[in-house]
Amino acid sequence: MTALKRLRILELAGDVAGEYCGKLVADFGAEVIKIEAPGLGSATRRRAPLCRSGAPQERSALFAYLNTNKRSVTLDLAAPRGREILLRLAGTVDALIDDHPKGYLEGLGLDPGECGHRHPGLVICSVTPFGYEAPAELQRACSLNVFQSSGWGYHTPSDPDPGTPPLKGAGRFLTDYESGLSAAIALVAALYFKSGSGRGQFVDVSEQASLASLSDYVLGQMVAGHMDVNTKRSAFDLGGPATFFQCRDGYVYLFMTEPGHWNGLYRLMGEPPWMLEFPERWLELHLTPERIQRCRMQIAQWMKSQERVDVATRAQKLGVALVPVNTVKDVLESPQLQHRKYFVELDHPTLGRSKYPTVPYQFSRTPARLEAHAPLLGQHTEQVLGAVAGIGPPSAGTLHEPGVIRR
Amino acid sequence: MKPPHSTGPLQGVRVLEHTKVWAGPYAGKLLALLGAEVIRVESQDSLDATRRYGVQDINAAPGFLAVNPGKLSVQLSLKTAEGRRLFKELVMHSDIFIENLRPGAVSRQGLDYEALRAVKPDIIAVSMSMHGGDGPLSYQTGYAPSFSALAGLCHMVGYPDGPPKLVNIRYGDSSFGTAAAFAAVVALYHHRATGEGQFIDVSAVESIASMLGDVFMDYFLTGHIPVRDGNRHADMAPHGCYPCGDEDWISIAVPSDEAWRALTDAMGRPELAADRRYADSGSRCRAAEELDRLLGAWTRGQDADELSARLRERGIAAFKSVNSIELIADAQLWQRGFYHAVMDSLQCETPIAGAPWRMSVSNPSVERAAPRLGEHNDYVLGDLLGLSESERQRLVDEKIVY
Repeated sequence: MTALKRLRILELAGDVAGEYCGKLVADFGAEVIKIEAPGLGSATRRRAPLCRSGAPQERSALFAYLNTNKRSVTLDLAAPRGREILLRLAGTVDALIDDHPKGYLEGLGLDPGECGHRHPGLVICSVTPFGYEAPAELQRACSLNVFQSSGWGYHTPSDPDPGTPPLKGAGRFLTDYESGLSAAIALVAALYFKSGSGRGQFVDVSEQASLASLSDYVLGQMVAGHMDVNTKRSAFDLGGPATFFQCRDGYVYLFMTEPGHWNGLYRLMGEPPWMLEFPERWLELHLTPERIQRCRMQIAQWMKSQERVDVATRAQKLGVALVPVNTVKDVLESPQLQHRKYFVELDHPTLGRSKYPTVPYQFSRTPARLEAHAPLLGQHTEQVLGAVAGIGPPSAGTLHEPGVIRR
Repeated sequence: MKPPHSTGPLQGVRVLEHTKVWAGPYAGKLLALLGAEVIRVESQDSLDATRRYGVQDINAAPGFLAVNPGKLSVQLSLKTAEGRRLFKELVMHSDIFIENLRPGAVSRQGLDYEALRAVKPDIIAVSMSMHGGDGPLSYQTGYAPSFSALAGLCHMVGYPDGPPKLVNIRYGDSSFGTAAAFAAVVALYHHRATGEGQFIDVSAVESIASMLGDVFMDYFLTGHIPVRDGNRHADMAPHGCYPCGDEDWISIAVPSDEAWRALTDAMGRPELAADRRYADSGSRCRAAEELDRLLGAWTRGQDADELSARLRERGIAAFKSVNSIELIADAQLWQRGFYHAVMDSLQCETPIAGAPWRMSVSNPSVERAAPRLGEHNDYVLGDLLGLSESERQRLVDEKIVY
């Protein structure tokens, strides 16, 4: 039994944020029906990483990751008959996920403003770079632009050299994953509301706001006038000596803000005399650039001869928040993540057997499960459409006539 | 004093928060922003550090105010047996319990899932920790940047040939809190359908690893371990932040040939569009360094706002890298009502950073600021638990309500 088994959701989304939102609910058992263009499919089907062989639309490990547990139905939404079938399908689902700019849903006859009348029980969840009502010129923004619009970009990395550019974040899709997760919360909350009231609604999620919200500890203070607001690249920073240090075999990150950390570090490093020259509680009350620099230099000197996992393990046992800087390979091999079975294996017709990351939350009763690989393009067209009253059965042949659903 | 009726999708849901600092409180804040009644259990004998940072007055701590709008506060000393008993009574009146204390702390208080389930069999209990509740490293602790370092994120952030860097040091706690809030809402949906509660164990490291799903897939498929590459992108070039006047930066991304042609037009360099070295995204990615140089030389000295507006008019993905001043003045964020005013206990209006979503029917509205310590003692202990005024006074006198 998985938590969202009873839900049926249409996914019109074709980019990472919307597809990730759909995956988050599909992995909890919701039946997510992905609508794709015949022959082409979602744009993510052609994005890296790609394997070398197989049909061009079935090679992407990105698509495979984002679409586990979903069904794929091909439907030509440019054709009137395709749109008619879509509207009929929309009448059979609880919710719809979309990530196209304003105008797309309206063109399909699914105007979010009017849906309350035609489909009063339908939840429409839209996730777009700046929200549904933002000016059209903003809707073309890429993940990088949204990250830079949210405050995170300008303030990344911490401890910046003002001559080097602000950074994109990490990887290609941090903006999209964060926004997809935020959309999924709103979507399931709206479905919860619907299960009590019978009412659907339009849920409008902004990627910019999703990211901005994540900085609320500083942003909330800034907007309320409680924190200095300025043009410094370091305006979000915490101050203090916390930073990365190089070991013999890689890097560690040391977090330090309180006397307990300092005292533990003193023992870890073999009680070096230089540490006694720092005033008590200096991390909280007496930070100066000189002290931070001296402390970092001394630690860096000592750390050079250490091994990253070994020193982190000893530090943790002394209450020091020191951790190794892991590569993706280290993460995969982490005994902790292996213990929790964070990665599981799944077969895919072209990608073969591969590990997949799962989810960060373990449920005692209704865990998320990776049960089915991402669908081949149109894999479920006949099955899904055949089961919808008035469209099937597929053997009638009517569906195939104008190329409406053909793979 | 009853709190005002909520309009959000989670109206009628009660959340009990036994949390510290940011990640746990952020999860609670998202649920409050969805209309749940979120009660923070606090006590002067284990006060949240964010109530003290930078201030004498624990009711005016800016960090606490930022992350706790719309919540209620009740005081209960969990160092006393009666405080713990009352806490469990509150659990009986709640749907969701969230904690992010150090590993093992709630067990030592006798408030772990088994204890809570004994009094409220269908409670949804969400436990948040760096590594999850069990396993060989579960004893370890850390802070937001530690999660990112462990999860593989920091290793990818930084400039070519430089050391690892942080996506800003503040990144991590709130993402972790978001994962916990999503899990809570999913469990709530299941509860409505079946009446079943459950235990949910959320790992911070795995929450951050979730931001690298495709990177793991790439590693499994090709063995590729990403290196620090500034603003490079596997599918697009140009892709980066380029210098403008006044120490500003503009972000520009070119996802298609069409966008590339539009950009070369805007630059007044149509010959670049015809240059075979930059003909398609593959060749542009291979020439990324050269393209960054060309583009940076062109943007340098221009006004970042004007330039990004001009590029967007031509359909190019461009946005100024906004500083904190511009962020708190951002037109989209104000127009959406992301920033909006709440009323504090002195009836003063103050703006907060609100919700990423808007809803057409059950649009949630948090109207109150973060609570003063114990601001809702009477409602929680009186209205919910049915304790008389004299009993409540006794609890105050005996420092159980403390």
